[in-house]
Amino acid sequence: MTTANDTLRLAVPKGRILEELLPVLARAGIEPEAAFSDKHERKLEFATNIPNLSILRVRSFDIATFVAFGAAQMGVAGRDVLMEFDYPEVYAPLDLGIGYCRMVVAEKEDELARENPKRWSHVRVATKYPEITRRHFAERGVQAECVKLNGAMEIAPALGLCRRIVDLVSTGSTLKANGLVEIEQIATVTSQLVVNRAALKTRSAEIHGWIDRFQGALDAA
Amino acid sequence: MTDLERKALLPAGLRDILPPEAAFEAEICETLAAGFGSHGYDRVKPPLVEFEDSLMSGAGAAVSAATFRLMDPVSQRMMGVRADMTTQVARIALTRLTDMPRPLRLSYTGEVLRIRGTQLRPERQFAQVGAELIGAESAEADIEIIAIAVASLHDIGVPHLSVDLTIPPLVPALMEAMSLGDDEYRALRDALDRKDVGAVRKHGDAQVEALCSLMDGTGPANAALEVLSGLSLPDAAAKELDRLRVVVEGLGRRMPDLDITVDPVENRGFEYHTGVGFTFFSRGERGEIGGGGRYIATLNGADVGNDNGEAATGFTLYVDNIMRVLPSPPARLRLYVPPGEPLGNIDELRKDGWVTVAGLDAAVDASVEARRMKCSHVWLSGCAEPLEQG
Repeated sequence: MTTANDTLRLAVPKGRILEELLPVLARAGIEPEAAFSDKHERKLEFATNIPNLSILRVRSFDIATFVAFGAAQMGVAGRDVLMEFDYPEVYAPLDLGIGYCRMVVAEKEDELARENPKRWSHVRVATKYPEITRRHFAERGVQAECVKLNGAMEIAPALGLCRRIVDLVSTGSTLKANGLVEIEQIATVTSQLVVNRAALKTRSAEIHGWIDRFQGALDAA
Repeated sequence: MTDLERKALLPAGLRDILPPEAAFEAEICETLAAGFGSHGYDRVKPPLVEFEDSLMSGAGAAVSAATFRLMDPVSQRMMGVRADMTTQVARIALTRLTDMPRPLRLSYTGEVLRIRGTQLRPERQFAQVGAELIGAESAEADIEIIAIAVASLHDIGVPHLSVDLTIPPLVPALMEAMSLGDDEYRALRDALDRKDVGAVRKHGDAQVEALCSLMDGTGPANAALEVLSGLSLPDAAAKELDRLRVVVEGLGRRMPDLDITVDPVENRGFEYHTGVGFTFFSRGERGEIGGGGRYIATLNGADVGNDNGEAATGFTLYVDNIMRVLPSPPARLRLYVPPGEPLGNIDELRKDGWVTVAGLDAAVDASVEARRMKCSHVWLSGCAEPLEQG
């Protein structure tokens, strides 16, 4: 067996969530090499103080994919990403309780005054989450045509791209600044510790050891 | 795109398998099936296509959504292309082979077709090799079927093999006691399938604690059984758990080196299983090597129930995933035979595994032609002479 297979990889998201994740990693006894905290560092895989554990720093949206295909055995992924991709190969055994936000449907304030969302049969929605959006509207009998955007969803209604958006909100200030109001909440989102199914089965003791360690880190907080 | 390139394009999920993989795949299928045969599992060969109502009966209901259907213009009845072969073998056992003594041991190899691939296996057509043990309800039967699969996989050289055992009826038994609505049932089942402890706990109920303990009882078999034995379970579930313990112990005695894990919550691919189920993994390979379990062989539809079927267990191995974990087979010695050269004892070489490639054009230089035909040796005056590298 090659060393590449013996190394466990933990995929973590860049950006906002990472700030909240670092103390959890520290309490779980994981110290990444110095280059990891350098925002300008170009490499993506980092060594840690634990010989067979490395950390991958990737876009939060890609973490579920890395773990689903076994490129990383473990990861930290938002529930939004897990719901969007719905990979059966990804287990989410532990809620880390960080990165709290909510996924909501929003539209322009004046729009809401004019119509009743209960009467929709077809809507066009700008979102980064077309699968969740389609599923959510389908469940209430509404066909959702999704315009996939990767950012700046909040401006889309003002520019006439569509009348509604599905997006994450934490404080709601971005919605407000763009004249949008929340119509309904689809889900609450926190970050989960996720593991690859085959890895959990074939490296069971090791992976369970890490789940317990992260649980311990949460209990200690 | 040229016309030629356009014609090379195959529909999504379908592919040509070329040399040397095609021969390798065939060899794996044959070696595995011969191995099952040596344990008394006789080969059967059902057709590619059969009437929908027989293909979808019993266990077949689970693959109904994955099955290509076509109308038979002759009988005007709907037919399905097999998406799995287990149902077909069960049908054979229950119809044409009712006279054969039980337990009945059958094996098969063949291609299946599915409407959609999965994320890990985008292929829509792939080869299956499997065996079914029909008319045996005992734990010995569970042990035999797993042991034969493991032994055959070992024999062809699958490295780092482990088997994950599950009890598909256990979770439903606990969930029945929760009186959940349809939506809630589905949401909880989804959460369990993802081992999402947080989402499971949201359902807050006495049974939820038991379900969470089941998730804790996931891992290396002996430790997992210890956790599980501490649970107080409904009678039916407790009986299933006892069966699992007997199977783990039996396998441990028969194959002391085998890595056995237990996952009592696993449900994927076990939609129609009624007792001990199992999945084979090879460490480092992301896909499953194969799997199977106990089911009721029946020709009834899912709604009619399983009352008059036969107890059965069996497994299916996925040849494409097996190929990914095996080293490529060594290249065979390849001998160029110039036209007109006396053949002498060349048949002996073929029997020893040589490949001979006959030249058809006497005008070309033998060693140049041998190289062009990718041969390692050339046949000269009744001897196989190695070609110089170059």
